[in-house]
Amino acid sequence: MLIHNLMQWMADTEWSVGLHESRYAYSIVESVHVWTLCLFVGFAVFLDLRLLGLTLKRVPISQITTRILPWTKVAFVLMVISGILLFFAIPLRTYHNVFFRLKAVLLILAALNAWVFHNGGMYRRLAEWDTVAATPRAAKLAGAFSLALWVAIIFSGRMIAYNWFDCDKPEPAVVDLVAGCVR
Amino acid sequence: MGRYVIAVALVIAASASTARAHHAFAAEFDAKKPVKFEKAVVTKVEWTNPHSWIHVDVPMPNGMKEAWAIEAGTPNVLFRRGFTKDALKPGTVIVIDGYRAKDGSHRANGRNLTLPNGQTLFLGSSGTGAPAS
Repeated sequence: MLIHNLMQWMADTEWSVGLHESRYAYSIVESVHVWTLCLFVGFAVFLDLRLLGLTLKRVPISQITTRILPWTKVAFVLMVISGILLFFAIPLRTYHNVFFRLKAVLLILAALNAWVFHNGGMYRRLAEWDTVAATPRAAKLAGAFSLALWVAIIFSGRMIAYNWFDCDKPEPAVVDLVAGCVR
Repeated sequence: MGRYVIAVALVIAASASTARAHHAFAAEFDAKKPVKFEKAVVTKVEWTNPHSWIHVDVPMPNGMKEAWAIEAGTPNVLFRRGFTKDALKPGTVIVIDGYRAKDGSHRANGRNLTLPNGQTLFLGSSGTGAPAS
């Protein structure tokens, strides 16, 4: 309820109204989000597939992390900024959107996966398996999780557009619960 | 540098055209279930991306009224069709038609709207898959 009220307040701010009522800004932000998302996932896939041992097998993994990861990070930052703006334009409906909630959970899982990979013992011992094509099982898992999670994140993100389960019409109790509808 | 700028512009243009559609007509609305309200009273207008919503109270034969939400295009689309935010103040009596939501809720995809002065405006909401008017 507290967050619901906070979202209601946010939706009524001049900037949020300006963005969702805009003739051009919203479409531009939306396009930037899609564009930077393509860049981010496009770059991330290189590392994921290398970790899975499926591509660039003769390229050391440290080469990919030092040369591609910086670009991945730039795209990630732009993607997150544009994503926050899209949320900010329509905060209340998005907060109660079941697909947005699923996406938030998946994003947390993807962040955990990346954190575990970059801070785990396996990555500290990278020198031992940097150049091998047959990567350790844990590295394969990290790559597979990342790929699967980002596919699911893009799907759930796209589904936010559909108001099949919106709180402004009667919904089954389970939808009400998941969406956190305030009736 | 010039070529780089053109490439970036092309990418933006390409992504803009796909993002505009947002959601398909058929995902939510049924082209076989047209509705028309002759004396709908505007209660609220959500002048918003990616789709605007016009909320109306519709008088029923039994004297009661029913609340309906009619989907329309983006603010940009409505602006180009001749709408202004002030044209649809609460209390305005309009004629509006469109296609019902598949889930049976009181929502419809708007087609045409007639203002009290007789001006008819095309609402042009989710175009992809909507029947041509």
